[in-house]
Amino acid sequence: MFKHTISELKEALVCLQAGQVTLAYPLQPHPAEENFRGKPVVDFERCIGCGACAKVCPPRLIQLTDADGYREVSYTLGRCTYCGSCRDVCPAQAVQMSPLFETATPQIEDINISIRLKLLTCRECGETIATQRMAKRVENALHEAGYSHTENVNLCLSCKRKLGLNSPAWIQEVTR
Amino acid sequence: MNSRLFNWCFKKSIWVYHANAGACNGCDIEILDVLTPYYDVERFGIRIVHTPRHADALLVTGPVTRQVRERLLRLYEATPEPKLVIAVGSCATGGGIWYDSYATCGGVKNVLPVDIHIPGCPPKPEAIVYGVAQALGMVPKQVQAQTYIEE
Repeated sequence: MFKHTISELKEALVCLQAGQVTLAYPLQPHPAEENFRGKPVVDFERCIGCGACAKVCPPRLIQLTDADGYREVSYTLGRCTYCGSCRDVCPAQAVQMSPLFETATPQIEDINISIRLKLLTCRECGETIATQRMAKRVENALHEAGYSHTENVNLCLSCKRKLGLNSPAWIQEVTR
Repeated sequence: MNSRLFNWCFKKSIWVYHANAGACNGCDIEILDVLTPYYDVERFGIRIVHTPRHADALLVTGPVTRQVRERLLRLYEATPEPKLVIAVGSCATGGGIWYDSYATCGGVKNVLPVDIHIPGCPPKPEAIVYGVAQALGMVPKQVQAQTYIEE
């Protein structure tokens, strides 16, 4: 019995030494650790609407819809698994995983993101090609690679073929 | 729901019944973390009870599989009014990666009226504490839907 009391006293000493471990959260802020993947945030000025994120998203929450001259990229983040694949594949570094985890909300639609980007139509047939920002990006890449012929970026594939711009002779002309 | 009655009932402490509706156990382990001395939600009077008849709130994890749907509805009916339904984790808030599966109902909101959604896969223990504190009116909502239209 005496032995038992001693062990209890030891335990009490340990408890006294430990001090207070409980976090004061939520009365005081407690930011997330480094590299924590919280709610994805999109830099609207950088997003080009290519849809690379939509292809890799495991719960397929990123949807692309083309309507009325705009491409809508919508993030239904209610089912996001915070894997970070969208950040990894984004060619424009527009998607980042923020450290925000305090996303509790009564309406789950409150964490959705919707981006509407202007579409580019073919100058011959009027068919939708891509977003204007994607075309701009292709143009810049061509300029950087040293090509000066960027006037045919706003042509769809079939119109390029009709105008003979896919022929080996013309490609040789451009790449000479 | 009558908000005055609600505020009066949930003034002091809420007892929570944890219902696993097909979760992978990730969220359940985070809920266990919330009960440890480090996060210690018992200081707010929140504790887990073992029957829905003693509970004020249902803490639901998982995408609600078809098998568990009926049981979840029975749990909801067994909980006395007024009651809170808290959906924890991406599966419960939107169905997760099983959102369109034939075997799940795609989230708790398709089965029960949800009072607070706590997204995360799994949510941090702090996020769960924040969500429950928000349901009790202790902290404000931080997120807002974002829309951008190119000029």
